[in-house]
Amino acid sequence: MNTDQHGYKSILLRHETILFVVLAVEWIFFDAVGHNFGTYDNTCDILRHSCEIGLLALAMTPVILTGGIDLSVGSLLGLCAILFGKFWRDAGMPLPLAAACTIGVGALAGGLNASLIAWLRLPPLIVTLGTFSLFRGLAEAITHGVDTFTDFPASFLFLGQERWLGIPAQALVFIAAVIFFWLLVHRTTFGRSFRAIGFSPEGARYAGIPVGRRMAMVYVLAGIVSAIAAIIYTARLGQAKADAGTGYELFAITAVVLGGTSIFGGVGSVHGTLLGVAAIAVLHSGIAHALLPGEMAGMLTGVLLILALAGSTLPKMISGLRARKSTPRLAKQIP
Amino acid sequence: MRKTLLLLLAVAVAAISGCNQSSKAPSGGNVTPTPAARQITIAFLPKSKGNAYFVSCAKGAQKADDELGDRLIIDGPTDPDPARHNEIVENWITLGVDVIAASCENKEGISTALRKAEAKGIKVVTYDADALPDARSFFVNQATPQGIGFALMDEAARLCGTNGEFAVITGSLTAENQTEWRKFVEERRAAAYPDMKCVAVEACDDLKDKAQSETTALLSTYPDLKLILSTTSLGVPGAAEAIKQAGKTGTVKNIGLGLPNENKRYVHDGVTQGVILWKTADLGYLTVYAADALAKGALKPGDKTFKAGSLGEFEIQGDNIMLGKPFTFNQDNIDQFDF
Repeated sequence: MNTDQHGYKSILLRHETILFVVLAVEWIFFDAVGHNFGTYDNTCDILRHSCEIGLLALAMTPVILTGGIDLSVGSLLGLCAILFGKFWRDAGMPLPLAAACTIGVGALAGGLNASLIAWLRLPPLIVTLGTFSLFRGLAEAITHGVDTFTDFPASFLFLGQERWLGIPAQALVFIAAVIFFWLLVHRTTFGRSFRAIGFSPEGARYAGIPVGRRMAMVYVLAGIVSAIAAIIYTARLGQAKADAGTGYELFAITAVVLGGTSIFGGVGSVHGTLLGVAAIAVLHSGIAHALLPGEMAGMLTGVLLILALAGSTLPKMISGLRARKSTPRLAKQIP
Repeated sequence: MRKTLLLLLAVAVAAISGCNQSSKAPSGGNVTPTPAARQITIAFLPKSKGNAYFVSCAKGAQKADDELGDRLIIDGPTDPDPARHNEIVENWITLGVDVIAASCENKEGISTALRKAEAKGIKVVTYDADALPDARSFFVNQATPQGIGFALMDEAARLCGTNGEFAVITGSLTAENQTEWRKFVEERRAAAYPDMKCVAVEACDDLKDKAQSETTALLSTYPDLKLILSTTSLGVPGAAEAIKQAGKTGTVKNIGLGLPNENKRYVHDGVTQGVILWKTADLGYLTVYAADALAKGALKPGDKTFKAGSLGEFEIQGDNIMLGKPFTFNQDNIDQFDF
């Protein structure tokens, strides 16, 4: 176990190094090919465009670390966005209160996932596939698919569209979330217990880790973060509609896996996720600025993911081959 | 050793992705800016990229661009997230295009991005679906409710010989646009064709099956019925199927709003006499001409007419550039259109 962990750690390091190099190459390439790509304005736009998916990916990291998955985050973003609009426009709440209530709903929705997964011990994939449809369905039912919330005051839109001290306002929320999740995963016993659960839930249980409570915690956190992302999304677009955040769960999972977190749990890091989010966001923006068709972004994200994963397992495979080469000689010597 | 391996790998990754992009770049066609004459860059946003309706709009846009010699960027979302439209527009803002022509899926949402573009000195026109009026200079209006209503009624009267009974299939009884179109159908009937009589208005809830069953019921209830008129695109093929199955092909005429591709089969079989819409390629063509003129300062608020290349003069009502009367697709011309 101990040596295993050490081995994984070095793989992790290498993976993140590769990803960092890829990110740097992406940047240099698009800066050379694209028009106005490396400008300060565009850097801010990249940040603005990746905040919501970045937040979801951050919350997804501990979930995947425990060996789970949360497919409902995108749908919950949609549900929270329209509930936020409802609280504000129809219930007449002031915006801060509406935001607080929305975050409360996010926590409740995350709690629903959590209780089904942690206490009923249902598989996360199935549970969140269910809530994926449930939350989106609720959002569509509440608005009948057509009701759109708009005309938010400028003071609120500031959060999604303006800069504060030279950086996009929502980036500050994102940075706070990064610090929170990094400390949680890398500097607390919670983080250790997430990994332990990911390696072996039974083992973790025998080691005295309150597995149910820890797992519940990651899904509730994911719910809360989805609600925060919903508020930022609404501020960025200036509208809330039931189709907000469609497909975001897959972008978030892609970013997490690209960042080196094992989909089987136990291995991964928050800074890896951050690099994953950045690599995808830069790719999307770069393609637009190099005047390439937008659908190439999806294609190249796929290529990036496969190459990065292959890249990080290649050294292991080579050493494995070496080991195999040396075994026949040993085998001959034994008889 | 391990580090060099890593480095090699990274370079390989970069090279592969680099090749990928540079090999694709020429097909984009618009990458190299000419330093000599200042070339206008027009960014053209369809609601969605794969939609045949917008593909044919884009064809017209491309044709106009070839004539004008501008640089045209056409990009639209391929996934359903509404934020993608804004991201595309915001990328165009930092890219520094001269003018944006947008079809707006989410009126309020995209207006925030379009306003930002205008604040940076980028001109904005909308086409097909308008943004909020303060977020653009002009809207290229493909058809007014009056134009649609009158065209439907005129075609109905022409087919019936200006007398007899007809019935209307509508999407729903409450939808605002449908109600408005029906209002103008009735206005035209009362004013120009008093001998024609609308005997029933049935809602098909925008379902082809329901349109078919409603039509079947109408055919047996009103044996003297001469024509079915649908104000929803799903009504036309639904009604056509009912007429065909009732063996009344040709005796009961069928027209309505619709896309050529959905109705080609019935038009060729003689079940449907015509579908009414506008020429989408002309819409794209006019939009690009308007965008170009706006960027060059040749088109200004307050203008009353606008000349767009080979299509000639168009009327401007307020800040709406009018594409003009709707177009009827029938047996003679429907095969020339693919959307």
